[in-house]
Amino acid sequence: MPTLPAEPTHAVTQPFSRSRQAREAEETLTHLVNDFDDNPESMDYFYDLFRRVFCQGESLEREGVLVGTTCIHAPEELIYALGATPVRLCNGSYHYDQIGAEFMPAKSCPLVKATLGLLQDPHAVPRVGKLDLIVNPTTCDQKKKSGALMTALGHTVYDLEVPPSKDTEHSRVYWQRSVRALTERLCQLTGRRLTRRNLRAAMARTSRAQAAFRVLHEHRRAAPSLVLGKDVFLVTNAFFFDDIDRWTAAVERLNAEIAGRAAAGFQAAQTKAPRILFTGSPPIFPNLKLPLLIEQSGGVVVADETCSANRMLYDMTAVDEWHLPDMVDSLADKYLKPCTCPTFTNNEDRRRRLLDLARTFQVDGVVYQVFAGCQVYEMEQKSVADTLQRAGFPMLAIETDYSPDDLGQLTTRIEAFLESLKARKRHRPT
Amino acid sequence: MKANRPALAALRAAVNGVDLNRFRFWVQLASFAFFLYGGYAAVNLGSHLPLFACVYNRVGTAGAGAGVCYLMPLQLQLARPWNTLFTGASLFILTGLGIFMLWFLALNKAWCGFVCPLGTIQDWLTALRRFVRIRYSVYTQSQFDWLKKIKYLLLALAVLIPLGIGNGYITRELRAPICQICPGRVLLPLFSGDYSHWNIDFTSTTTVVMTALGVLITGLFLVGAFVKKRFYCFFCPMSAFLFLLSKPALLRLKKDGSKCTRCGDCYRVCDMQIKAIADDVVTADIMADDCTLCLKCVAACPETGALKVKYAGLTIFEATETGFIKRCQKEHCRANASR
Repeated sequence: MPTLPAEPTHAVTQPFSRSRQAREAEETLTHLVNDFDDNPESMDYFYDLFRRVFCQGESLEREGVLVGTTCIHAPEELIYALGATPVRLCNGSYHYDQIGAEFMPAKSCPLVKATLGLLQDPHAVPRVGKLDLIVNPTTCDQKKKSGALMTALGHTVYDLEVPPSKDTEHSRVYWQRSVRALTERLCQLTGRRLTRRNLRAAMARTSRAQAAFRVLHEHRRAAPSLVLGKDVFLVTNAFFFDDIDRWTAAVERLNAEIAGRAAAGFQAAQTKAPRILFTGSPPIFPNLKLPLLIEQSGGVVVADETCSANRMLYDMTAVDEWHLPDMVDSLADKYLKPCTCPTFTNNEDRRRRLLDLARTFQVDGVVYQVFAGCQVYEMEQKSVADTLQRAGFPMLAIETDYSPDDLGQLTTRIEAFLESLKARKRHRPT
Repeated sequence: MKANRPALAALRAAVNGVDLNRFRFWVQLASFAFFLYGGYAAVNLGSHLPLFACVYNRVGTAGAGAGVCYLMPLQLQLARPWNTLFTGASLFILTGLGIFMLWFLALNKAWCGFVCPLGTIQDWLTALRRFVRIRYSVYTQSQFDWLKKIKYLLLALAVLIPLGIGNGYITRELRAPICQICPGRVLLPLFSGDYSHWNIDFTSTTTVVMTALGVLITGLFLVGAFVKKRFYCFFCPMSAFLFLLSKPALLRLKKDGSKCTRCGDCYRVCDMQIKAIADDVVTADIMADDCTLCLKCVAACPETGALKVKYAGLTIFEATETGFIKRCQKEHCRANASR
């Protein structure tokens, strides 16, 4: 079994903290922390975590086999059950985006470029060590095709076949077979056997994490808001690389603090702050510019429908019979059926999910982020906008990427949107 | 309302957080004992019950159970000569149907999921299979769509054959044909020590065929229910009959499609493989014809208010996030304890 190379933290010539990439992270964190008063104390764990990992380049001690995943479709429970650790490779760094751009087509989306940029770096940050395998779910075309690029970069890639649709019974059966095949591959890789016991333990861990996330999600229903969206995105982003149990404990602490604040009548945003539902391409640290902008401009992101937060953690598994085949199939179902990824043929579930979130979280408007080059999100934009508009929710669609160049322009647009929402709110008969 | 009545809210939370599978196990056990042995305590709920409490389950001349399945009287009554069948003298058939309806309307198809002894036996066989860790089998969607029609065919036969007998077209030896091939006739008397139905009656060709079919179907029932959850319920003519009458029933399974994420958790746990429970986000009355109202789907639903059980318009049990997580954690605790 491959072991982690004893890699010195400062293998690069200059101190990491002075690199471009550290400064980029520092910049985001500074705004995220300092631009807001009354950050919850239990958020310090997360601020500190990101500072250590992204600004100081601290290595994350990881034991066992490391399995990179490029999409939320890869069932983490299987990876944990076999004693391996999943590393979510979707990346939000402009630094890596630019490196990726050097060898990727100009029209690729920044997320894919940044992921590839990260993968070409032997000292990639977050420093998790050498990946033993990358599980690459065949979702959008760019991710599908980047598997070959990853192989060319010297990684071992396993293409996890995701069906193009999820509504039919045969797509479900196809996917269940894909997941079983992945299980075999992972067993081979780790040299372990998947058992009822280890899978059950892994599912319990994930389920506890999800339960904690759901409590946090529930807290966001409150009006006026108890917690800001920028903090929630940071929390769910930490789930990408943090130790799952430590993460869950930290979220449970945060939940307790928020509950305490609720009892004390605290509010995290102004009563009249427009409540925003965030959807589209996923905000991934350090690229939290859009949610940050919304909240710096006086709005508050109260809910999201993105694969770096809600879509990744919300849906929980139900098992009827706790024997291995049924457990694995149940997991497969959880990763397919509720998923609102735009790569599936039909986006009805996504539109229904957005409507439900908009209604139950008393949302004033929706911000739809599209990464330049992300065709699937772009193509769904109209149908989503129409659905929301018909239900009385204005939507602002923003095409952007990881570069800070459009910040000025975005600020103007976001502020105008929030102003219009406020005006609507004032004129709405109560 | 909730704020005014904290006790009610607490009760609701307790009910919604119930360990449904365990609750159902005890209800089924109690009903089983009641409907198989109630006769010993001189309980008799009559012969119009919407469940397989078999008339052949007897001690001496009295019924051993607390009541009798309606299919037998129905088939016998329909076999009256036609010249009397369509006169006022047959009013009692309608009365019988009315009584049957009253019983049925009280519980809807929960008779199948909570009370029916044949259903319970199948669940016990499932438990046995689970204990020996054998995986269940499932039908493919196309098999399922095809097989689910059989129960309507059986129901049609349960009506048409007696009518044919009344008209003189069909031999009287085919009286109550469904009872003759029903596994309830063979299995349930066993519980009061009567093994006489485990045989083939060689009186005539008809009896040979029918009793052989009965034993064969019972064998299939036992094997089928061991490998496939609620195997027999797919073919049950009573299930078809109940579904056709279920419109005015008091107990109802409701779905609020706007709250559904189509995660498929309900479909996952459904013994009857009803896909619509997950995929249909339009129909509010979500009870399908195969549904046994076991309510496992409600317990497995993590979306608050997406699935609800209503009794006469009042919500008595509903899917809640906290209930789901509580059950989930209980499962995981149980797993840790069993290590």
